Amino acid sequence: MFSIVGHFHPVFVHLPIGILLLAFILQWWQRRKPEAQVGQAINLSLLVGMISAIVSCITGYFLSRSDDYDEDMVNQHQWLGIAVAVLAIVLYYLRVKQQGGRWHWPMMIVLVVLVALTGHVGGSLTHGSDYLTRPFSAIGSGDDTAKQVIITNVQEAAAYAQVVQPVLQEKCFSCHNKNKQKGGFRMDQPDLLLKGGKTGVSIVPGNAETGDLMKRLLLPKEHEDHMPPKEKPQLTEQELALIHWWIASGASFDKKVKDLQQPEAIKSTLLALQGAPKSEAPKLPDAIPAEPVGKANDSALKRIRDLGAVILPVSRNSNYLTVSFMNATGLRNHDLQLILPLKEQLTWVRMGQPVIDDSAMSYLVQCKNIPRLQLDHTGITDAGMAQLKQLTQLQYLNIVGTKVTAQGLQQLKGLTALRSVYCYQTSIRKADMDGLQQALPGVAIDTGGYRVPLLATDTTEVKPANSK
Amino acid sequence: MTQKELHNQRLVNEANARALHHLTRRHFLKESAMGLGALAMGALLGGCGGGKEELAQTPFDAAHPLAPKLPLFPGKAKSVIYLHMAGAPSQLELFDYKPALMKLDGQDCPQSLLEGKRFAFIRGVPKMLGPQAAFKQRGQSGAWVSDHMPHLASVADEVSFLKAVTTDQFNHGPAQLLMHTGSARLGRPSIGSWATYGLGTENQNLPGFVVLTSGGKFPDAGKSVWGSGFLPSVYQGVQCRSEGDPVLFIQDPAGMDRDLRKASIDAINEVNRQQYAEYQDPEILSRISQYEMAYKMQISVPDVMNINDEPQYIHDMYGTQPGKSCYANNVLLARKLVEKGVRFVQLFDWGWDSHGTDSNLAIDVGFINKCRQVDKATTALLLDLKQRGLLEDTLVVWGGEFGRTPMMENREGKQNPFKGRDHHVEAFTIWMAGGGIKRGTSYGETDEIGYSAISGKTTAFDIQATILNQLGFDHEQFTYQFQGRPFRLTDVHGRVIEEIIA
Repeated sequence: MFSIVGHFHPVFVHLPIGILLLAFILQWWQRRKPEAQVGQAINLSLLVGMISAIVSCITGYFLSRSDDYDEDMVNQHQWLGIAVAVLAIVLYYLRVKQQGGRWHWPMMIVLVVLVALTGHVGGSLTHGSDYLTRPFSAIGSGDDTAKQVIITNVQEAAAYAQVVQPVLQEKCFSCHNKNKQKGGFRMDQPDLLLKGGKTGVSIVPGNAETGDLMKRLLLPKEHEDHMPPKEKPQLTEQELALIHWWIASGASFDKKVKDLQQPEAIKSTLLALQGAPKSEAPKLPDAIPAEPVGKANDSALKRIRDLGAVILPVSRNSNYLTVSFMNATGLRNHDLQLILPLKEQLTWVRMGQPVIDDSAMSYLVQCKNIPRLQLDHTGITDAGMAQLKQLTQLQYLNIVGTKVTAQGLQQLKGLTALRSVYCYQTSIRKADMDGLQQALPGVAIDTGGYRVPLLATDTTEVKPANSK
Repeated sequence: MTQKELHNQRLVNEANARALHHLTRRHFLKESAMGLGALAMGALLGGCGGGKEELAQTPFDAAHPLAPKLPLFPGKAKSVIYLHMAGAPSQLELFDYKPALMKLDGQDCPQSLLEGKRFAFIRGVPKMLGPQAAFKQRGQSGAWVSDHMPHLASVADEVSFLKAVTTDQFNHGPAQLLMHTGSARLGRPSIGSWATYGLGTENQNLPGFVVLTSGGKFPDAGKSVWGSGFLPSVYQGVQCRSEGDPVLFIQDPAGMDRDLRKASIDAINEVNRQQYAEYQDPEILSRISQYEMAYKMQISVPDVMNINDEPQYIHDMYGTQPGKSCYANNVLLARKLVEKGVRFVQLFDWGWDSHGTDSNLAIDVGFINKCRQVDKATTALLLDLKQRGLLEDTLVVWGGEFGRTPMMENREGKQNPFKGRDHHVEAFTIWMAGGGIKRGTSYGETDEIGYSAISGKTTAFDIQATILNQLGFDHEQFTYQFQGRPFRLTDVHGRVIEEIIA
C-alpha cells in the first residue's frame, strides 16, 4: 500500500517545481510593472504550488521507505522538500493576510533557490549523482569512448575490471550504486556484488547457474523479475556470455583473462573485445563524405552520359555521385576533363577502359573527394601513381592488371585514409611487401595470385561401400 | 530496292494490316464486350490504388527499365552472388558441429523431440544419427568446418556463418519460394527481381539478373523462384544455359549480317513505337528496350559469357570442366558477370537432398560427392573476387532452403538403404561473405544436438532484409504498389542481421 502511494512521487513532484517557479515569475513581473494586475494570480499559483508540494512530500516520504536509496541524500532531499512546502505555506499565508509585504520578494527568491536544490538532489537520486556533469567531463576528454581503455591483448586484460565491470557499469550501476540500491542490491563494490540484495545471493563463484544475478539476466524479457527492466537497455548476447563465463570460472576480481579457464565457446567473444571499446568491431570509415555538397550541374552530367558512362547519385537525397565508364567504349583521355565541373561531387569512380592512362590522372586528382577509385585494367603507370597522392580522401584503390610497380605504389605514402589496395596482376610481388607495408602502414595490400590446391578428393568420388 | 528495304517494307505492311484489322466491325463486336469490362475494371482498381504521389515514387521507367536507379542510402554491396544448394545440404555434416549428437548415435529419438512435430518422411520413432564428418576449428575465427569442405575451411575467416536459420516450410518448392520470394506461395517477385527493380544494371549491355543452374535438374520450385511476380516482366531472372552457348541464337544466322539485324530490329521497334503511340501500354516500351538489349547482348555476351578466355590457372583454381554443365563453370561465369556490372547472379545447384534413399542421396556417399563438386569452386570464387578487389562490394550467400534432421530418416517407418537425414525446418546454416559483411564471425546457436535454434535465431526474411540492406535499401520502405497496396519482399517480417554487418 505504502509503495503504491510512494510510486506517485514522480507524478506529483514536477508540479511544485513548475507552479512555484510561475509564482516567482509573476511576482517578478509585478515588481517591474506594478500596474499589471497579477496579485490574484500569484496567490493562486502559490496555493496550488503549495498543495502539490505537500502532496510531493507525503508521496516522497513513502517512496523513501519502500525503496533503497542512499540514506544521506534521501535525508537531504526530504528536508529540502519539507522546507519548500513550509516556506510556500508561510508565504501564501502572509500574502493572503497582506502582512510583511517587503519580505515577500526575498522569501520568493529563497523559495525558488530551495526548489532548485531539492530538484537537483532528487534528480541525482534517480539518475545518479554524476548525471548532469557527465557530458561536460566527456567534452574535456575528447569523446565518450576515449575514456574506455582499449584492450590491445585480451589475454592480458583484467577479467573483472576490464571485461565484466564495463558491462555492469553501462547496464546495471545506474540503479545499483552508492546512492541508489534497488532491491537492496549494490553492484559497484566486489563484496556487495557477490552478496546480493533482498532476494538472495547474487553470485556463487564457480557456479553460474545458481546465483540470482545470472538467473534474472536470463529470464525472458517480459518476466517480472527480469533484469535490466525491459524498458532499459538490455545486455547483448556477448555480454551475457562474458558474465556467465566470469562467474563460472570463479568470479575472480583480480585475475587476468589468461589465468581463467576458457572454454571454446567464449574464445571468439573474448577475442572480439580486443582492440575495440565496448566489444564493437571497428566500423569501416564511411565511403561517402559526411559533409553535404551542392547539386551537380545538369549539363555537365549530360555530357558525361553522352560518353556512354553511367553516372548516378550515390543514393536518394545525396548529391554525391558515382561514375562508371565501363560502357564508355569510345572514351579518350582528354574526355575526362568533362568530370571537372563535378569534381566536388564525384566519390566512387570506376574506369574500366584500357585506353585511359597517366594523362587522364591530372583530371582525376582534382576530384578531391574520391574515396574509391577503380583503375584496374587501365594504362596507368608509376607516373600516374605519383599524381594520385593528391587524393587525400582515398580509401580504396584498385590497380589490378596495370603496369604499376612497387615504386609506384610507394608514392602513395602519406595517404592516411587509405585502407586497401588491390594490385593483382601487376609486377608487385609478395617480396615487395615489407617495403610497402613500411611506406603504407595499416593498408591492406592484396597482391592476389591465390591458388586453390588440387586435392585428390577434388576429382574422385566416394562409392557406396557395398550396396545393401 | 535493296534487300534491307524490302525486309522493312514487309514488316511495316504487316503492321498496317493488323492496324486496319482493328477497324473492322467484326473486331469491334468481338472485343468491345471484353474491352468495356476491362475499362471498368481498370477504373475500379485505379480508384482504390495509388494516387499521383505513389506513382512518382515507383521507380519504373518503361522506356529504360534497366537504367540504374537510386538506393535509399549508399549500399555497401553493388552485386550479389547467391549460391543456392537446392535440396538443402546438411548443416550437421558441414558447419554445425555437435559432438553430443555422436553419443546418441543409433539410439531411439526421444519422444520430446517428436511430439507435435511433423516431418516430410520420418514416421514413428527414428534413430539419432551422429555427425558423419570429422570437424576442426579453422583459421583465426575458430569456425567449425568439416573435412568435407577442406578448401572452404581454408578461407573460413572470410565468412560469416548464420547457424540458427529457421523456416516454416518443410517441402523443397515452398521453402525455396520462401527463401527467394518471401512467400511460400507462387506470385511474388524473387529477390533478384527486387534488386534489379531497385538498382537496375550497371552494364546496359547485359541483363541485371542472371540465373545459372547445375546439378542436372532445376530447383523444385521451378522458374517462379527467379520470376518477377507482379513486378514488370523485364525484371525476371534471365536464365542462361550452362552447357554449350550460354544464350541460344546469339550469333547471326548465315546470310544475316549485323547491319541487316540492326535494320530489322529498328523496323520492329518502329512498329512497336507506332503500337505504343496508339495504345500507350508501357509493356510495349519494355519490349522495345528488350529488343535493343538483345542486339547489344550479341556483342557483349560472347565476350562475357565465354569462360574459355580465362587463363588456365583460373580454370585450375575453380576446377572447371570446359564444355560440360557444372557448378564450377557457373561460379566462374558468375564472377565474370559481376565484374561486368551484373547486379544479381543466382546459382542453383541441384542434388543436395540427402535422404538416404539411394547412394547419390546418401549422407555418407552422394552428399560427400556434392561437397567435393562445390568446395573448390566456391573457395576459388571468394579468393578470385578478393584479389580483384571485388569482394568488398560483392555479397556472396551460400545455403539451402532448410536444414536436415539430427535423426536418421526412416521413410514410412522402415530403415532406408543408406544413411540419410530428413528435411528440417528448425535450424540450419547459411553463410555470407563480402559486400560489407563481417569477416570470420558466427551468429546464432543451436542446442547440443543441433535440433533447434537456441539463440540468434534468424529467418529467410532476415536474410532478405540483410541482402537488401547491403544493397542500400530499407526492406520496410522498399515497396511496389500492386492490387491496391504496397508490397514488400519481406511482407511484414524481417530484421536486418546487424550482428554480421561490418
